[in-house]
Amino acid sequence: MYNLAPAVWVELLKVRRSRMPLYTLLGFALAPLAGGFFMIVLKDPELARRVGIISAKAQIVAGAADWPTYLGFLAQATAVGGFILFSLIVSWVFGREFADYTVKDLLALPTPRSSLVLAKFIVVAVWSAVLTAMIFVIGVGVGQVVGLPPAPAGVWGPGTVVLAITAGLTIALVTPVAFFASAGRGYLPPMGAAILVVVLTQIIAAAGWGDYFPWSIPALYAGIGGVQSLTLSPISYALVGATGLVGVIATLVWWELADQPR
Amino acid sequence: MVTAIETDKLIKRYGAVTAVDGLTLRVEQGEIYAFLGLNGAGKTTTIRMLLGMVKPTAGQVRVLGASLPTGDRQLWNAVGYLVETPHAYPELTVRENLEVMRRLRPGVEPAAVSRVIDRLGLAAYADRRTGTLSLGNQQRLGLAKALLHTPPLLILDEPANGLDPAGIVEIRHLLLDLARQEGVTVFMSSHILGEVARLADRIGIIHQGQLLQELDVAELERNRRRRLIVRAHDGRVALAVLLNAGFAASLTADGAIELTDNAAIERPDEVATQLVLAGHPPTRLAVEQEDLEPYFLRLVGLDRAGPDV
Repeated sequence: MYNLAPAVWVELLKVRRSRMPLYTLLGFALAPLAGGFFMIVLKDPELARRVGIISAKAQIVAGAADWPTYLGFLAQATAVGGFILFSLIVSWVFGREFADYTVKDLLALPTPRSSLVLAKFIVVAVWSAVLTAMIFVIGVGVGQVVGLPPAPAGVWGPGTVVLAITAGLTIALVTPVAFFASAGRGYLPPMGAAILVVVLTQIIAAAGWGDYFPWSIPALYAGIGGVQSLTLSPISYALVGATGLVGVIATLVWWELADQPR
Repeated sequence: MVTAIETDKLIKRYGAVTAVDGLTLRVEQGEIYAFLGLNGAGKTTTIRMLLGMVKPTAGQVRVLGASLPTGDRQLWNAVGYLVETPHAYPELTVRENLEVMRRLRPGVEPAAVSRVIDRLGLAAYADRRTGTLSLGNQQRLGLAKALLHTPPLLILDEPANGLDPAGIVEIRHLLLDLARQEGVTVFMSSHILGEVARLADRIGIIHQGQLLQELDVAELERNRRRRLIVRAHDGRVALAVLLNAGFAASLTADGAIELTDNAAIERPDEVATQLVLAGHPPTRLAVEQEDLEPYFLRLVGLDRAGPDV
């Protein structure tokens, strides 16, 4: 990968100079805050009803106001909200070159197009991982503020691992969005594709085939169905890996071979 | 010496539309070659094919001896380019945009950024975000990106676009200096014949994807029509005098007498003598050369009631 490190530097400079990191952090910070809200409600549903933070008609989901439940909520939010947010990041990193008409400056350079594409994927992965780490840190703070009882030994390790693996699976699944940002030359086609995937995920998971639909798997792993995540078979994980790889390869091939008439 | 650019029967079709139709051209090293055509003539598509951004439907492209597409990315170290309206990352400063290009062109030393900023007169804007730049300064930044690594071949699409008259003269001198002093080959497209004639050694005229004519600037001067314009107090009588003297003369719409035969153009003094002897001395006598624009429009067949260009 000739000149990959400078290409990563270039991508990081573009990210640092934009407001997108701030916007994506603000968007993702909703997850631990929403989690904190649920923890307050779960601590004392009757009190929450009386002071009016929830309606009398609110259906309280079963669960306890404790760290395992809260960390599980964060992992599920990463699987569902994270997919949309990471798709937005991919759409911006790839689609902006077309929306800003800057792609033409990247096409006849000694740095190969494959290095530029890989640099973009690396930055997307790092950016998404850092966001996940930040919502974890914010989540720990929110958990303290809402007064969750101290976690017993053996909660933090698995809770953190589930969140990290959920984030990793979700990041792998946004690579096809990069293809749509490139072939669609902008922001709308990739976001349209991401929304379509979310809709399909709902339908396919409801039909019971979620184990075999790559985009359902992070949420199932995070335990969104209330089912223990360890029931997923290796085929499910392999499907996620294959989908990530196909996204990267399709994007690379498109950048190398497609005509760039604009 | 390797030919800088060579194309052989280059064709590019987009569905039913043929953007470039059998283009064969040759640009020698060290020359300034202007590629002239109306909007939509196929100039930018050709430039994109020369840069490997668009694949030809048929035909061949060779840049500095390398056939495209080439796996040798180092070829692009020798090429600087500007395609269509320049664009830059709006949230990055002028200096940062150039730094981005420098990093993506390994081997270019850090000082090159400041050097090209000075050369293109961008020092006052170096730390300004490019989203706030005027069109002229965006154009200068586009040219700076092309010149950053001091390439021996420049491929420039409408380099004077968006520049004010002083900027046009400045860039013309810059390109002439690069070609004459440093032996840089310049392949540039334009739709302004007047500008091109001041700069280029050779001109290729493209229309509807085809190369209509390729000529040196000296040849262009010869091909332009000349005429002798005569005015007298009584134009009709003066016209009759000249017709009687055997000149091919006619009255123009604004009442002047136009003579197109060489005898008149070469010897305007003879024409004046005839008129003076007949008692109708000329009040104006001038040899005029056809403007470049009408010449160009005549060549592309748009000289009569054509669209505004």
